[in-house]
Amino acid sequence: MTQSENGNGLVLAEKYYSQYGSRARELKAAGRKVIGYLTALGPVEIMTAAGVVSLRLKGNVSEAITKGDAYMETIVCPFVRNVFDAAVKGRYDFLDGMVLPHQCDSIDRTDDVWSDTLKLPYWHFLNVPHVTDEPSVEFMKDILRIFIQTLEEFTGEKITDEAIARAVTAHNENRRFMRELYALRITDPPLISGAEMMKVLVAAMSLPVDESSALIKGVTDEIKHREMPPSTEQGRRIMLVGDQVDDVAIIEAIEGAGGRLVMDDLSIGSKMYWNDVDATPDPIQGIAERYLRKLKLPTTFVGTGNNYQETLEARFGHMKQYIEEFKVDGVILFVYKFCDPYGFEVPAIRNFIESAGTPVLYLEDEYSISTLARLKTRIEAFLEMIA
Amino acid sequence: MERYYAGIDIGSTMTKAVIVGETIVASVIGPTGPEHRKLADKVMEKALNQAGLRFEDVTYIVSTGYGRVNVPFADRQVTEITCHAKGLHSLLPTVKTIIDIGGQDSKGIKIDGGKVTSFVMNDKCAAGTGRFLEVIAETLGVPLEKLGEVSLSAESPAAISNTCTVFAEHEVINKLSTGEKITNLVAGVHDAVATRVYALVKKLNVEPDIAITGGGAKNVGLVKALEGKFGCALLVPPEPLITGALGAALVGKERYEHALGSGQTLTRSGQGLQEARLFS
Repeated sequence: MTQSENGNGLVLAEKYYSQYGSRARELKAAGRKVIGYLTALGPVEIMTAAGVVSLRLKGNVSEAITKGDAYMETIVCPFVRNVFDAAVKGRYDFLDGMVLPHQCDSIDRTDDVWSDTLKLPYWHFLNVPHVTDEPSVEFMKDILRIFIQTLEEFTGEKITDEAIARAVTAHNENRRFMRELYALRITDPPLISGAEMMKVLVAAMSLPVDESSALIKGVTDEIKHREMPPSTEQGRRIMLVGDQVDDVAIIEAIEGAGGRLVMDDLSIGSKMYWNDVDATPDPIQGIAERYLRKLKLPTTFVGTGNNYQETLEARFGHMKQYIEEFKVDGVILFVYKFCDPYGFEVPAIRNFIESAGTPVLYLEDEYSISTLARLKTRIEAFLEMIA
Repeated sequence: MERYYAGIDIGSTMTKAVIVGETIVASVIGPTGPEHRKLADKVMEKALNQAGLRFEDVTYIVSTGYGRVNVPFADRQVTEITCHAKGLHSLLPTVKTIIDIGGQDSKGIKIDGGKVTSFVMNDKCAAGTGRFLEVIAETLGVPLEKLGEVSLSAESPAAISNTCTVFAEHEVINKLSTGEKITNLVAGVHDAVATRVYALVKKLNVEPDIAITGGGAKNVGLVKALEGKFGCALLVPPEPLITGALGAALVGKERYEHALGSGQTLTRSGQGLQEARLFS
């Protein structure tokens, strides 16, 4: 089924990265149903349990938006616009349906534009709440049940609790494999470059969970015995923080200037893989809690501390742990233009990390490589500053 | 034997070259502009002539500025942020905050002993940069280098509320047609740029002394407007355009001497003095 067991993990990751969605397209041709989704809030356990192929959608930073803007206002965030443009141009024409979770207003308020334009057989808006108290967890469980019901109607198959429990186990294992791969970045130099890692992360989110796990394991087995040449000029170790950064361009800018991307807090990276679903008697309980409370997204967070400092620890304390564990020298905070949720958090994150002694570079930009040149000067200056 | 180090700073509008030995032995400023894009080598040649040196006499060359990667004869590229800090510190050692207003961007740099501790940059839009002043100067028919002087005789600066260059230009034209004096308009435009730059730089923890560099530093009206915003006098180096190139030369010197100290000799790239591979 997969070819990653014969030492070609990185080659396979490169293939699925550069031909994004190609495996889902093949599976569709073989008779499977493919559901696309946006953001880290897509409940993959439920889609896996439903027997559909889930594909997290991405855009293409090298491609200008040429068709999407005819339907969608330019005040919508550049990431959402770019993915929508790709969909309008037919890049995901093999999809049977989509699920849009309510991460932010750019998604919530464009749901009808997506559904009316793409006219797919299956459509679902997953109304994820934005507060995390007990009533909200109950609400989250309810909307997950509604989601299950719509999928059952669409596929004509019952989604059993047992199937969901099995999917939970499979996805938790997938996350553990990815964390094991991340651990190979702790050494200096790291055994896997930031650009290679990005390709693995992107490839992994385009595959059914079993194939994704096989790919990750394949890459880990391939690189764990790598002999890295001792570096002559010590590269600074960087952590990248942001939402869906899903292209190597900015990472190549960092690594091309001598930096080393050793860790991330991205929504396709550690945010996805650091939090498992607890196996609860009602499997929906564990899923609701994971997506609502464990995922550290700026849209689904309510302060839990007794004071501001404790709240900051609850929201960003994990970044401090990453900095320590992965020996990070500098943090690059990358936010897309018009991204309110992440934009609101910038001063707090910056202050929190800098006051703990790690310099932060804040970049705000398009979801496009057309503006990369001006970012490069900032990245290089930042690396010179922390050298 | 005295060693010589050269720095070349290719900005969006001007190319600057500085050669240092024990002191500054040459400094040359030439245009980068569309028809001069390939003239980095000529600016360098002029600097060599000024110093009475041959190309081979220079020990190490560092390029900086947004065209830094395109200089074939440079031995290393370093960003203008690092170079401005280094260059300015050598001229005005008490400075802790630098405001640089160039043709295409503006930036604020916090320094501690010549080392950058943080920085901010605006290069997304023309407002707050030299380009904005160029556009307005042309609209008003005032030569760019006279803008500062003209604004000093303003009675009451006109309020320019738009921060976008294109809209601000419309606003200026409108006010001109309703009889607003050119002096007041120019002063208003300086105020608008100063507001923009102040908003950018105050994101840093601004500490005095504050210095201003780049083409913007040559405009007395703009400097005065900025002084009003920051509430203190700004220091202006004798030639505010060359701090980046000077810093580049000094970074080269430091690197070379550091390497010597650890028993290594940095070698030149071996590239001759050729045309810049700019914007190909």
